[in-house]
Amino acid sequence: MRRSLILGGLSVFWLPGLAIAAEGAPATGGWIAPFAVIAAGIGMAIAAGLCGLGQGRAVASAVDAMARQPGAAARIQTAMIIGLALIESLAIYTLVIALILLFVKGIQFS
Amino acid sequence: MDAIEHPPIFRLPGIPDHVTYTWLVMVILAAVAFVASRNVQLVPRGLQNFLEVVLEQFQQMIDDVMGVAGRRFLPLLATLGLFILTGNLMSLVPGLAGPTGNLNTTGACALVVFLAYHWIGVRKQGLLPYLKHFAGPVPLALKPLMFVIEIISHLARPLSLTLRLFGNMVGGHILLAVIFLLMGLDGLIGWALSGSVVGAVVGGIGGVVTIAFTVGFLYPLKILVAFLQAFIFVMLTMLYISVAIEDSEHHSEQHH
Repeated sequence: MRRSLILGGLSVFWLPGLAIAAEGAPATGGWIAPFAVIAAGIGMAIAAGLCGLGQGRAVASAVDAMARQPGAAARIQTAMIIGLALIESLAIYTLVIALILLFVKGIQFS
Repeated sequence: MDAIEHPPIFRLPGIPDHVTYTWLVMVILAAVAFVASRNVQLVPRGLQNFLEVVLEQFQQMIDDVMGVAGRRFLPLLATLGLFILTGNLMSLVPGLAGPTGNLNTTGACALVVFLAYHWIGVRKQGLLPYLKHFAGPVPLALKPLMFVIEIISHLARPLSLTLRLFGNMVGGHILLAVIFLLMGLDGLIGWALSGSVVGAVVGGIGGVVTIAFTVGFLYPLKILVAFLQAFIFVMLTMLYISVAIEDSEHHSEQHH
């Protein structure tokens, strides 16, 4: 079971390279480009999922605090939004890396 | 990104789009400010009233975060906020390009913030006390280490301001571009108009659903993000300035 999973996972990474190798070097991209696309997709998926977990915890605590102390809701909301921005910026870093992998010509054409 | 985003309708030859549209934002803001303040009255009406409400919102934010002493930074903060907000909203208008969707514009804003808060801190505390406050309240042997870590964290601030605004804007643009690509004449609507019966049914229903999704959900979300990112940029600038002008006695744990 585990071996087949590993083999399947590895083949995901091998196949684009094999396909490129079978076609010969195409004019529009080298052998790094398909790996860059896979890395961008997987990386963005992991970053989005974990960012969702983190923001969910932050919002849950903030809503809890607002329900306990409605008088302090405005200040809690401000702190929550700043915290959410700081958490979200980590996922945004991954987005920028993904955009670099997808659109920078040095990666796509090497 | 030129591959999937349509270039804006109006372009000046030889000048990058984000510079053109930065100038457009500047013209809009300057014109609104000029018209509103041409005939200032004690009891404001119309545009003057609107701008006073906007600036009072900024002032309220400053009072909440920095105290009344922070009101002298209102010009810097409100200019940054209005510029970024107008740029963000402009990028939602079809046919225009947003200046904040480009790394150079956001980097310039973040660089202004970086230089400004260091300058304000040095002016308030003097150069040596300001540098000493980098080392933090730790034993003498750890101070060089703390100093290096603080320098790195200060250098990370403009980077994160830049990338946060840029990433949010460009992520939204790419999302909208992909949706429009799927929806347009090459996608669902083109299928609906192609003449086949299946295409007319599936493409028609899909096109209507996609348009409803875009207009009803994606655009309001993007407008919310435009306001939120401008708010966060201004809020973080305020926090950085208020940490920089804080007295070195009581800043032990809140300087991030």
